[in-house]
Amino acid sequence: MRAISLELYKLRHKRLLLMITLFMLVEIAWAFMAASMSISRNPNSAEWEVLIAMLSSMNGLFLPILTAICVSRICDMEHKGNTWKLLLTFSVKRSTLYAAKYISASIIMLAACLLQVLAITVFGFINGFKQPVPLILMIRFLTGTVLANMVIIALQQWVSMAVKNQAFALSLGMIGGFIGLAADLFPAGVRRVFVWSYYTGLSPITQSYANEKIQFIVRDMSSLLPGIVVLIAAGIAIYLAGCVHVSRQEV
Amino acid sequence: MNQIISTHNLSKRYDDTYRVINLNLSVCEGDIYGFLGPNGAGKSTTLKMILGLTKPTDGKVTVFGKDLEANRHFILSQTGSLIESPSYYGHLTGLENLRVVQKLRDVPDKNVEEVLKIVRLHKQKDKKVEHYSLGMKQRLGIAMALLSFPKLLILDEPTNGLDPAGIEEIRELIKSLPQRYEMTVLISSHLLSEIEQIATSVGIISDGVMVFQGSMESLKRKSNSTITIKTRNNKLAQELLFQKGYSPTLHGDFLVFENLTDEKIAQANRSLVASNIDVLRIEEHKKNLESIFLDITGKERSL
Repeated sequence: MRAISLELYKLRHKRLLLMITLFMLVEIAWAFMAASMSISRNPNSAEWEVLIAMLSSMNGLFLPILTAICVSRICDMEHKGNTWKLLLTFSVKRSTLYAAKYISASIIMLAACLLQVLAITVFGFINGFKQPVPLILMIRFLTGTVLANMVIIALQQWVSMAVKNQAFALSLGMIGGFIGLAADLFPAGVRRVFVWSYYTGLSPITQSYANEKIQFIVRDMSSLLPGIVVLIAAGIAIYLAGCVHVSRQEV
Repeated sequence: MNQIISTHNLSKRYDDTYRVINLNLSVCEGDIYGFLGPNGAGKSTTLKMILGLTKPTDGKVTVFGKDLEANRHFILSQTGSLIESPSYYGHLTGLENLRVVQKLRDVPDKNVEEVLKIVRLHKQKDKKVEHYSLGMKQRLGIAMALLSFPKLLILDEPTNGLDPAGIEEIRELIKSLPQRYEMTVLISSHLLSEIEQIATSVGIISDGVMVFQGSMESLKRKSNSTITIKTRNNKLAQELLFQKGYSPTLHGDFLVFENLTDEKIAQANRSLVASNIDVLRIEEHKKNLESIFLDITGKERSL
């Protein structure tokens, strides 16, 4: 706990939360504009589902980039000030530091996801949606997004810690964003390989085109389970590999 | 006296080259141990091994009488250090940087106030460290090392980048630590002149090998003085003094004598004057420590 609070303390003056909030607001505004258009074109379609589906597909583009920036900011300060050595001479374990950074990044990105859920709810109320807030769908949306985020954090943290030049990590984030955006266009087998495709892959709502009309279909939970299991396993593997690799580096 | 640090045949190999070879370093309690050597001699590598930052290829490190491998946590909790360039979080203020260390060390607020005063940063404590000058960053690094008032302080070239006034200030500070806080200090430097005035013991390392270790006094004893005498007729003077039992050698315009007592010099002078040889100059030449250092390390290049 102390290590995590210390990580959050070290983020002072970085204006990370402000940057994330602004980034999220742009995404949310964009997604809601698209959703509004879709709802006005098809007044009979289910409204909450449209919002969730739009945000899920936008997340594929925005969250990999935002995660890359956030993780890079958390890790870069140790490279910049040469502080690895300092922390190690205070008998801080590398694995503890790695875990503290991972958890801090996860907490911050969780806040970003919660902001999305809050925005959906507020948008729904303001626009007087007929159905009540779909709690289960919202929880499934949040869980899927957070899970995909946590795996991407593990990947980004590995790169940000192992390679001093943060341009690598940020480029990876951008490539991830591109893959995340285009994920639905890939065949299912290819899609499963890329961790960035799971924002839409784990979304509770899927879009399909039938008779030149978009339909929003609620996915069955059981159809998502194999994907969740694969993703969690990949996340754990990436985290452990990163932790071991970074711990073995010379300072 | 209690040994605080001792290394036994410590070696470190990077790829195919040994940076440190069979090093036996020994620092006693209350010492200010000057660890000297030219750039790239293996000083930082040795200090990193003592702090457990780098694993030795061979050999053993004992600190406070305990094996480093098995007691790393205990040893580091009693040790403050500044290795190579100072480490800091540039986006945080000086005070916030110290707070980070305070949380890691679990020490009271008064320590923070005290170290800020010791390194004279209390006026700049709210300034971001990225806006500090190099000297201020170095002082902050020392403050971080001192924060828990450890029993052992390891400083790797702490005066790098400081101006002469800053060097003097740090020197005075380090000198006062053993008495004021009962600390033992291990300080490395590539400049003998920097260590000369504060160190009680010295270790000199060259190409990874310890070439001298002992008290500052014993190093100074190596600085034998020579006496040179210039006369109106050096040749005649040399012959005369040979007969009197002296063994001068002629170097340019001077007769050079090794190990002469004051009485012997007076006698030689009297003999020369009595033989009507005018004595123009009698000079004493002390070999300074810097040249002893160069002799020992065998390096005439810039240190």
